[in-house]
Amino acid sequence: MAIAAPARTTPTTRLASAPRGRKRNRVLPNIPAGITATIWLLIAIVPIYYVVITSLKNQTNFFSGNALLPPASPTLDNYALVLQNNFLAYFANSLIVTLVSVAFAVAFALMAAFAIVRGSLTSRRLRLSFSVFLLGLAIPLQAVIIPIYLMITRAGLYDSLIALILPSVAFSLPLSIIILVNFLRDIPNELYEAMRVDGASNWKMLTTMVLPLARPALTTVAIYDGLNVWNGFIFPLVLTQSPDKRVLPLALWSFQGEFTSNIPAVLAAVVLSTLPILALYIFGRRQLLAGLTAGFGK
Amino acid sequence: MTETHTGVLAERQAGTPRNASNNATRTAAPSAWYAAPALIMFVGFAIVPLVIVAGLSFTDWDGLNAINFSGLTNWIKAFNDPQTYHSLGLTLQVMALSWIIQTPISLLLGVFTAGKQKYRAVYGVFFFIPLLISAAAIAIAFKSLLDPNFGLGQSLGVPWLSQNWLGDPNIVIYTVVFIIAWQFVPFHALLYQGGVRQIPESLYEAATLDGAGRMAQFFNITLPQLRNTIITSSTLMLVGSLTYFDIVFVLTGGGPGTSTRLLPLDMYLTGFSSYNMGLASVLAVILVVLGLVLSLGLTKFSGFSKMSSELEGA
Amino acid sequence: MKLTAKKRATLGVALLTAAALALTACGTSGPGGGSTGNASAWALTGQQKTIQASFDTWNAANTGKKVDVQFFGNDAYKQKIRTAIGSGSSPTLIWTWGGGVLKSYVDANKLVPLDSSLTAKVFPAIAANGEVDGKLYAVPNNTVQPALIYFNKDVMAKAGLTGAPTTWDELLSDVKTLRAQGIAPFSLGGASKWPELMWLEYLTDRIGGPTPFKAIQDGEAGAWSNPSVIQALTMIQQLVDAGGFVDGFQSVATDSSADFALMYTGKAAMILQGAWGYAAIQTAAPDFISANTLGWGDFPTVTGGTGDASNVVGNASNYWSISADASKDQQTTAAGYLTGGNMTDTYIAGLLSSGGVPPITGLDAQIAKSANASFLTDVYQMSENAANFTLSWDQAIDPSAADALLTNLDLVFLKQSTPQQFADAMTAASK
Repeated sequence: MAIAAPARTTPTTRLASAPRGRKRNRVLPNIPAGITATIWLLIAIVPIYYVVITSLKNQTNFFSGNALLPPASPTLDNYALVLQNNFLAYFANSLIVTLVSVAFAVAFALMAAFAIVRGSLTSRRLRLSFSVFLLGLAIPLQAVIIPIYLMITRAGLYDSLIALILPSVAFSLPLSIIILVNFLRDIPNELYEAMRVDGASNWKMLTTMVLPLARPALTTVAIYDGLNVWNGFIFPLVLTQSPDKRVLPLALWSFQGEFTSNIPAVLAAVVLSTLPILALYIFGRRQLLAGLTAGFGK
Repeated sequence: MTETHTGVLAERQAGTPRNASNNATRTAAPSAWYAAPALIMFVGFAIVPLVIVAGLSFTDWDGLNAINFSGLTNWIKAFNDPQTYHSLGLTLQVMALSWIIQTPISLLLGVFTAGKQKYRAVYGVFFFIPLLISAAAIAIAFKSLLDPNFGLGQSLGVPWLSQNWLGDPNIVIYTVVFIIAWQFVPFHALLYQGGVRQIPESLYEAATLDGAGRMAQFFNITLPQLRNTIITSSTLMLVGSLTYFDIVFVLTGGGPGTSTRLLPLDMYLTGFSSYNMGLASVLAVILVVLGLVLSLGLTKFSGFSKMSSELEGA
Repeated sequence: MKLTAKKRATLGVALLTAAALALTACGTSGPGGGSTGNASAWALTGQQKTIQASFDTWNAANTGKKVDVQFFGNDAYKQKIRTAIGSGSSPTLIWTWGGGVLKSYVDANKLVPLDSSLTAKVFPAIAANGEVDGKLYAVPNNTVQPALIYFNKDVMAKAGLTGAPTTWDELLSDVKTLRAQGIAPFSLGGASKWPELMWLEYLTDRIGGPTPFKAIQDGEAGAWSNPSVIQALTMIQQLVDAGGFVDGFQSVATDSSADFALMYTGKAAMILQGAWGYAAIQTAAPDFISANTLGWGDFPTVTGGTGDASNVVGNASNYWSISADASKDQQTTAAGYLTGGNMTDTYIAGLLSSGGVPPITGLDAQIAKSANASFLTDVYQMSENAANFTLSWDQAIDPSAADALLTNLDLVFLKQSTPQQFADAMTAASK
């Protein structure tokens, strides 16, 4: 069954190996899919094209010119303006929040997954905690924003990057643990036994054997969590305040107000905020795409 | 990206890990302490807040003053307020429309990009870009693109395109559904792509020998083989539509009027704009209950318990 | 086994926590971060240059008593400030609008009272908006911003019109004339909702004077169903039906100044907006003003109405208040700034040059010499001579009903609610 797949091969390795050895009878053109694909290609590209060309226009061009024509004299002024408006600071905030959240989430998830895979037969507590994480998948993040706001303000953490990191880690955990549990299950027991004979502790097994073996799954988890945190909006909206704690998605929203009618500048900020992920996409497209759907089965 | 996942996985993956059940008995298991950091974080920032939000729904907290118990006041107010039903209705409408629009498109795109031809791969590179962009950025881009005075319609000179996409109360909900589709179709197409690539080639070869045409193959092989992917994708779509917040917040703020005031947005505005945290907590509880009912219902309906037992044997 | 595992888990958490704390340490001490360090101030972007300069001057002269200032867009600020105040991490100097919002902060003990001598030279009607129960809590820091009608002279001339309409009937006939020429009569930032409020405020005042709103503000029973309010809403819907507003006004956002852009790019002839519009246009389209294409006028009178034609509505000014959550040192610094840094001669000159007038008495001569003398004199006199200055309703009423007011009025503009439904909804929301 399809759902068993993630447990057996990692999505990454599967995707990488997919092109080999599979001949598909896709010789005949698939007309309905081809038409849909071409239309959707246009739909997907036009907004992106529009954002990029508009970000190269000046303000007067924007209000008077044709929205879909590239500017006669492209300008990078908008990018300069955005960069001068603390963009790099927002970028740094996003980077810090994402890296720290992902580090926590991945480390905690790996430890938990290790314990669950190795110990849930003997420990009722571990079985219970796995169920808690599974249940967690169904909690919409929006629904707990009010109590989280209350907790964060009462803890004196309001308007700090830690305020963003804590709930981001918490909400990254369930899916991360499930992906990792599925992966770790496939490490043969013999490997553990061999290490055990050599007198290795569980910690040693985790760090010297499980960690390197699980690297593809860890990358997958890190990508998925990272993208969610990087693009997250509601936690920063509710839990931070001042410009020096602002992360990128929130900065985009604020730019709208600060740049008043300078829409090209706002769109330049949109482009800049997407660039890092786009770079990742260009260099690791397969890995990135695999990371996005891992855990949902194939 | 989807901000909530669903009970689908819960149903599927529950139970003891397979390998462990066979042969982990003899090796001393790691202590439960290994799971403690994750558990503490998750309980602290997801489970405890759930309990708190239920509690807050019985208080008069306004975000500024002390929190006082107020009994059922908020609950009565929420159920007497036409806005609650309006938001709920809109949410269900968006849910249904999203599913109807996104499923066929994602399915076709998934089938298409699963093909090996070079040009399909090139298409694929562009298809998936929307996945990378934050909802805030997408909303800002579409807001200016769809501006009736300075946007797309004006420049193409096609009157039909310069409709008041975001300002006409009769149109705006479809615009929102479209933009949400723009954002999420790539994700679901990716799911389908993976699903299609899992279908054994031999099935198609046998069908071809039997003289089955493309259409017949699609309906007799591809669709049935994708059953699980369809269920996964649909569940994610349906439950995920309870979480559309950021895109609507930036795009329309719930307007014009209340035309796009979906339930999560209604909750946010009630709490953080009208400062009625108690009433907003009621809406949050409704959201949680709806999410749980929907994902549990869908898993029951699609017979996942049966499938997970098949899984155990796999 | 158990012990080591526990130790390791603890160690792992500790290490990661330490790493996170180190990385985010810079995040806990910045401005706006609470009651330590420099005093802080959050301001709106409208008068950024003048306000920034005033803080720079203050900081240079008072090295031990610095104020860190940050600027926000209007909508973003409104979303954020309440949250910040509620969480006890507000800036030392809080930017407010006076009225009901100010009162709610005072009721929650979030502000400290100020020395009444700070408003000695302020227009009395404006100073009154910064008082709660007879005590001063807020000091004007910005231009006085009555709402008025701006128009594009070129576009009006094309339709044979010379100026803003002076009566409602004339306004309706202008709308017809402009529509016949294919020109949108009024621009309106409907997506931001609050610009729609100016229409209701002015019409209600022109029809029934300031008393109907006073009753609403005081929470009197049935105040929202006052015939003046209902009539004003009915007239709004008539104007919508007559095509009085630009097509697609529902999706025009004020936050991006797109509403003004529609007027100065000639897509709409007029716009009812606050006096800050002049400065906004000057920044975005300086040629439009230097070519003398911008005209302006008072809101028209309504036949049979009892409101004084000199009455104005709008933002009386913006105000600085001092947070009760700030430390004593921060409060002292902020109070010092209000005396020595706010509304200095340079500050006033800055406001004037940006195209606005402060609500300070005795500036006539200075205004007459300024670069934008004709606009500024009109606004100055309009504000000083107003028999009544009604504060924007969303700021004046209890903040818990403000969102409902904007939403329900939007429904009236969209023709999704009747005037009576509006009144009923507001009566329910004000409980």
